[in-house]
Amino acid sequence: MSRRSLQNIAIVLLIAVVWPVARQIQQRFANESAPEAVESRTVVREVALLNVSYDPTRELWQAVNAKFVTKYESETGVKLTIKQSHAASGSQARAIADGLEADVATLSLWPDLDLLRKKALIKAGWEDEFPNGSVPYFSTVVFVVRKGNPKGIHDWADLGKPDTSIITPSPKTSGNGRLALLGAWGSVVLQGGSEENAREFVTRIYRNVPVLDTGARGATVTFSQKGIGDVHLAVESEARLEVRESNGELELVYPTKSIRHDPPVAIVDAVVERRGTQDVAKSYLDYLYTPEGQVVIAEHDFRPLDAEVLTKFADRFPKVELFTVEDIGPNWDAVQKKFFAEGALFDSIYQEIHRSDSAK
Amino acid sequence: MMPQKSTVASSTARHAASREDPVWVRVLLIGLAFLVIGVLIVIPVANVFYQAFRGGAGVYWKNLVSDPDTRHSIFLTLTVAPVAVALNVVFGVAAAWLITRFKFPGRTFLTTLLDLPFAISPVVAGLMFMLMFGLQGYMGPWLRDHGIKIVFAYPGLVLVTAFVTMPFIARELIPVMDAIGSDEEIAAVSLGANGWQTFWRITIPNIKWGLLYGVILCNARAMGEFGAVHVVSGHISGQTDTMPLRVEKLFQEYNNPGSFAVASVLTALAIVTLFLKIWLEHKTSHELAEARDVGVT
Amino acid sequence: MSISVKGITKHFGKFTALDNVSLEVPNGQLTALLGPSGSGKTTLLRIIAGLETPDDGTVMSYDQDVTGSSPQDRQVGFVFQHYALFRHMSVFDNVAFGMQVRKKPKDEVRDRVMELLRLVRLEGLERRFPSQLSGGQRQRVALARALAVQPKVLLLDEPFGALDAKVRQELRQWLRRLHDEIHLTSVFVTHDQEEAFEVADQVVVMRGGQIEQAGTPQQVFEHPANPFVMDFLGQVNVFHGRVEDGRAVVGGLEFAYPDYTGVESRNASVYVRPHELDLDNVPFATTHLRARILHINPMGSMARVQLQAEELDFLLHVDVSHERCRELMLAPESKVYVAPKRLRVFIPDFSI
Repeated sequence: MSRRSLQNIAIVLLIAVVWPVARQIQQRFANESAPEAVESRTVVREVALLNVSYDPTRELWQAVNAKFVTKYESETGVKLTIKQSHAASGSQARAIADGLEADVATLSLWPDLDLLRKKALIKAGWEDEFPNGSVPYFSTVVFVVRKGNPKGIHDWADLGKPDTSIITPSPKTSGNGRLALLGAWGSVVLQGGSEENAREFVTRIYRNVPVLDTGARGATVTFSQKGIGDVHLAVESEARLEVRESNGELELVYPTKSIRHDPPVAIVDAVVERRGTQDVAKSYLDYLYTPEGQVVIAEHDFRPLDAEVLTKFADRFPKVELFTVEDIGPNWDAVQKKFFAEGALFDSIYQEIHRSDSAK
Repeated sequence: MMPQKSTVASSTARHAASREDPVWVRVLLIGLAFLVIGVLIVIPVANVFYQAFRGGAGVYWKNLVSDPDTRHSIFLTLTVAPVAVALNVVFGVAAAWLITRFKFPGRTFLTTLLDLPFAISPVVAGLMFMLMFGLQGYMGPWLRDHGIKIVFAYPGLVLVTAFVTMPFIARELIPVMDAIGSDEEIAAVSLGANGWQTFWRITIPNIKWGLLYGVILCNARAMGEFGAVHVVSGHISGQTDTMPLRVEKLFQEYNNPGSFAVASVLTALAIVTLFLKIWLEHKTSHELAEARDVGVT
Repeated sequence: MSISVKGITKHFGKFTALDNVSLEVPNGQLTALLGPSGSGKTTLLRIIAGLETPDDGTVMSYDQDVTGSSPQDRQVGFVFQHYALFRHMSVFDNVAFGMQVRKKPKDEVRDRVMELLRLVRLEGLERRFPSQLSGGQRQRVALARALAVQPKVLLLDEPFGALDAKVRQELRQWLRRLHDEIHLTSVFVTHDQEEAFEVADQVVVMRGGQIEQAGTPQQVFEHPANPFVMDFLGQVNVFHGRVEDGRAVVGGLEFAYPDYTGVESRNASVYVRPHELDLDNVPFATTHLRARILHINPMGSMARVQLQAEELDFLLHVDVSHERCRELMLAPESKVYVAPKRLRVFIPDFSI
């Protein structure tokens, strides 16, 4: 065909390329006006925060946000909106590293937040920015079983029984998943068992995991809605919610000992500095430590730090002897390296299971 | 003459034999087909609507419009999908034109490449964009420094959606444009029409049904896209959650009626698409038949 | 000259479609580009139209170099082999298209379309769509559409190729009459020599990307430049023999052939058209062949008689009128005498 047709094709292709670029430029202008608005806070009274969190805290943050927004607005006159993002803790850390613009990161485990420090998004020493090592509440791993506990599961050791199908999310992506593995490990080594015993026990557990979901919520759905598995290893808050929603079909089981879950919070410095949201992010996280914040936390089945609040909600939180991650390894970095790094303990267990499965 | 006759005879015999399959075999096969379709398709689809309307139409409506995050997810899907489709219309028409109207080195390769988004898992497609535009990716730091957001924002949703649905329109147009041929376009040029006039007055009217068909399919897929969008969305409620992501989120939040209400909207869109598709299939086959008729007589 | 091409060469990949072709199209005449498929005739037509660009050479239109011009600047009308009507437009819109894209006023467009539809005898069909027309009607719409832009040259690519024999015959004569009415310089491509000879003022015979011969139908038919042209212009009897000093020798027979007087004996082919052979029950000429009738095939106004030459082992075709056929009481197996009224001798690689 003639040159003119070629020209037309060139024009069409040009539009296809130019259009998205034009949108980006438009987006850019929209963004440029945002920090300005925050700097002159006396004039413009609208701020938005993004809280990137892990899976089982959706309901908690909804409640906290509602309370805090009202409080903040009445105190400062600034109209605040807080957006939430939830997925598996490890995935969320990665998303923030990939550019998800979180003002605050409230993740499940210390290594997930520390990853952001390694990526220079959070300043070193972030653990000291808020009380209790920047951990505003704690929890533990408990068991959810089907009505009447037909498999007779009462403590960690019972998970090793044959024909017991276990639901727990993947330790590679989920904080809950990592805690469950460490809980099982600790239940052996902290009661005088050897590392070989522990490894053998953990292998037996994962051999009986039919579905390895990526996030805690996915595992909950698998267990409660899809009806797969005999026992679900869940963080206490998630377990209590799951049992409440089940209309009596599920029951809670507290092991005698379990692992302490310390979910840390941090301000993502790189983001707040650019967006000018340092102060509001700080007030937001500070709020968690106030008696009011602690009550909201307790109401959502997370164990509060505040002794008074804990006493008030004592009936929700049965006494469990808690051991920490540091009891298993000297610190999180070491535990992460030993258990969850590429090719570390979990990977080798998983491969072993696959090998023996395919050998069958 | 004889051999012909015997073939005719044997084919009739075969035909009769096939008709004489035992009744129970036929009933069993037909029954099995209906059972499979019923169990795998009809019941689950009907169940979506049953679950959604369980609390009555009022509750259904409330589930759809009273939650601002759900409302936003509907709005988001209704803005992301058309923009992605529009991009693909431009791209698809250009690609189909290029492939059917020009011979150039690498033409077959380009045709194969067009199908790539179908061959790539949507999750991988999402990760590809993350690697390009994410903060840890090649262009991420530059984009951030210039205040341009792609992943975890609207442009990223549009880009991945456009990527995974890219082949639909081009794939649909290539056979139509091949069948129609370039004669009319050349005729228009010989009559003094310039490129734009030829394109708008000859090419577009000729391919309009095929194009619409591609648009419908592309749009259905764009609205339902989950995997790729899941990767680049960032899951910010009321901001980057599209309808399919919202369905998952509501389901995980134990809000079954809400989840099924949103799911029912997606399903209804799919059913509408299906009917449009049937209607358009008729139209495009007509278009192709006419191409044959007018072309060669 | 309205159209004049010089030294046109065009390659498609490794294939040479046109090899240094030069041609003059006389003003106001109807020129036929005649040749077998692959001879480059359509490519040449498309280059004249501006639908293809030559690799080398120039195209002149009314003394202007238009080699690089786009089709819309050349003022040519092009009629396509398969009509290429706009299938989604009515007959009216098809014809009006060229004027509409040139932004002519509505009234003018309307009047001109109606005038053209009258010219091509399609009055009253302006609201029909191409799919509702017969092949001949479609071709006439295509013609009207091409004429609508008031071209200086009308180009037709195998305009009757897709029609059945009867319609083709009618349309051919109609085109000739139309041309006589409007006297528009026209070039048409055909592979049918009969069509070319019936319609054209000038015939250009092409082969393998080159022009073999150009001239009036009479010139080309009566004086074919080479065996290819001779062969291509219809059935011909070919004898392999020799020429020597004004005589052509085929088998044991000698024929006078003064064109080669004084030439040494050399191999040659002797060409005789079926209608150039005479046939009788009794010997009638100085040199004749004896032959046996194999088959009599009535072909329109003539009968074509297939013969087996007796002394020589080859087949002959002779055209005889039906009248003469009856007079001689010709029937298969009857014996006859055959002699050429006229013959042509071609010596390979020899030009007169």
